Amino acid sequence: MKKISGARIVIEALIQENVKVIFGYPGGAVLPIYDELFKQNKIRHILVRHEQAAVHAAEGYARSTGKIGVVLVTSGPGATNTVTGLTDAMMDSVPVVCISGQVPTHMIGNDAFQEADIVGITRPCTKHNYLVKEISKLASCIHSAFYIAKSGRPGPVLVDIPKDIQTFNTEYFGKSKTKSFTFYKPKIKPEADVISQFVDYLSKATRPIFYIGGGVINSGLKASNNLNELLKLTGFPCTQTLMGLGATPTSDNQFIGMLGMHGTYEANLAMNKSDLMICVGARFDDRITGKVSGFSPKSIKIHMDIDASSFNKSVKADLLVQGDLSKILDMTIKCIKEKKIIFKKSKIIQWWKQIEKWRSKNCLNYRNSTSIIKPQYALQRLDKLTKHLNPFITTEVGQHQMWAAQFLSFNKPKHWMTSGGLGTMGYGLPAAMGVQIAHPKDLVIDVAGEASILMNIQEMSTIKQYRLPVKIFILNNHYMGMVRQWQELLHGNRLSESYMDSLPDFVKLAESFGATGLRVQKPSEVDDLVKEMMRIKGPVICDVVVDPKENCFPMIPSGSTHDQMLLGPEDKLEGEISEEGMVLV
Amino acid sequence: MAESNSKHILSIMVDNEPGVLARVVGLFSGRGYNIESLSVSEVDSDKFLSRVTIVTSGTKIIVDQIKAQLNKLIPVHNLIDITELKTFIGKELILIKLNVKKDSVSKIHEFTRKNGAEILFDDKSEIIIQFSGTPYEISSMIKKLRSYNIIELTRSGLVSMALGKKYIKK
Repeated sequence: MKKISGARIVIEALIQENVKVIFGYPGGAVLPIYDELFKQNKIRHILVRHEQAAVHAAEGYARSTGKIGVVLVTSGPGATNTVTGLTDAMMDSVPVVCISGQVPTHMIGNDAFQEADIVGITRPCTKHNYLVKEISKLASCIHSAFYIAKSGRPGPVLVDIPKDIQTFNTEYFGKSKTKSFTFYKPKIKPEADVISQFVDYLSKATRPIFYIGGGVINSGLKASNNLNELLKLTGFPCTQTLMGLGATPTSDNQFIGMLGMHGTYEANLAMNKSDLMICVGARFDDRITGKVSGFSPKSIKIHMDIDASSFNKSVKADLLVQGDLSKILDMTIKCIKEKKIIFKKSKIIQWWKQIEKWRSKNCLNYRNSTSIIKPQYALQRLDKLTKHLNPFITTEVGQHQMWAAQFLSFNKPKHWMTSGGLGTMGYGLPAAMGVQIAHPKDLVIDVAGEASILMNIQEMSTIKQYRLPVKIFILNNHYMGMVRQWQELLHGNRLSESYMDSLPDFVKLAESFGATGLRVQKPSEVDDLVKEMMRIKGPVICDVVVDPKENCFPMIPSGSTHDQMLLGPEDKLEGEISEEGMVLV
Repeated sequence: MAESNSKHILSIMVDNEPGVLARVVGLFSGRGYNIESLSVSEVDSDKFLSRVTIVTSGTKIIVDQIKAQLNKLIPVHNLIDITELKTFIGKELILIKLNVKKDSVSKIHEFTRKNGAEILFDDKSEIIIQFSGTPYEISSMIKKLRSYNIIELTRSGLVSMALGKKYIKK
């Protein structure tokens, strides 16, 4: 067999992994790989303007398709710039493979030019990583990386390839003949008796609630369909986490809103008062639970997850179901049918009445204005006018993100890309690029804040180069809104460094990158803005100047429980927030 | 939740690959867990497997979380909590270097004979003693030798094995 270079093996292996697109930035230590990239036409390379954006774009690509996002960067600064992106992918369980160049093996450890111990640096923020020190292990490392990134609970995997390894020659026998050296094999199938126990709990519940997380979306369409079937079968109410939005349609009447710190009144109270909580692929994050000791005190808790380390981490569950959700839910439905269990409406009718009472509080209500645009109003109009197109939504991080989660509809999984776990400002724009690359014909909107968008604004250049018709919907309130909100509520309204001075003219900024810039300041102009944005074929930046004082409600102040929500500006914190709460983020 | 801390001996079979110890140790430091003792060495050179023994302490919830997190590491093949198996052996090795005066040499030789220790080196001014035992026995050995001039000592960290058939699988 003919020997080929390491760089060529990288490309061949990527082709065998069915990679169509990679996001990257060249540099000295990856030049041989870029050279091979140049000589082929099966893989498309998207040149980003910053390596962090490459990872976020790969995340957007991965989350909107279910495929693995691939990143290619050089050594040293190229690699260290990916750290935020990799951590983001780790926290949100996004399958990403990042290939980084490294200084040649004989120079490793010498503080060589553009050397960084990226395997050491990314050890805690990747699912796994490899430093390839022998050419004979290169193919195996790459194929293992793809396998690990996608199996079990997905996550980022980094493969660091020294430059000399890229130039050495060896034989490549293809994926199927490459010996894998990982024995990693996540547990997929749950035990039948655990499922049977779960079904017994389901049949006895009078105040049940499904608490749905991003694990359902990661598991795939089948999990979503199975979950939907189970919801219909039981008639139980469901709530979704920020990561889980769209796992089942949010327009469904059984959906009672997102839960957590900025979740709905009805969702949080239903969690608090339930007698059976069914956690489907969520992880009892601190944004969800509030004060753990007061979290849903009377419920029996079922926890389904593929990752055993999610169990009993912050909240103790009564029944643990480990496995792939599509499998768990499928077995559950079959078990219900086998046991011939009928879920009578009468059993949960009181519960639903109670939920409807909470729902009638209309907790997402806000005081609209005719003179100034309320951010909620802008999003409601955006939703109304774009919903029929089933747009892909990405967001940055902050108030706008929470409002987007509250006011937009998510009727299909994989249409909502937001930085949930890490809360990375600057995520939305590059993520939207990745989504748009994967779905060139679809409407992709980055709901942004004026502060976050500036963190990766350089990607406008990438958007221009690849003519990506991404729509950027900036809710411009001239503040780091969420920071300002916390300062207002918790720090005596001392707005330390949260005002966004010296902002660019976003219209001119758009134009300088060959995009269209649109600005509105009056509520009456919002509809026309959205229509115009949709009419324009290319990229658009909408600068929506909104009320700078608006805060995001409902809100569970840190250190409080689900039944201690603030519903609006009229609700005052009862006394001072506890010291315990003050230290929380 | 006033759950008490308890000590756990974890035995972990890992791929003997570069960085594997950093992964295990980094997990402990990154998540704020304790390492009271650590020992690691290759145990199977054909399959490139190393066995790590870690003594840690925490509440049940913490220790369960430590085990789950360790199991999640890709190079970890298998893990057992030896403490949970109730019947096990745990031993440590210690080397102690003493600076001695000529007149106490014979006394030290007698002491080591009586206490099951061994003298590895003796040039009449410096003696190196080897002793193995449980951590408790090791500590009391150190106490007993304190009256001599201990220059330095080193402990191997605990290695442990469960009795019977509950052995760690590869």
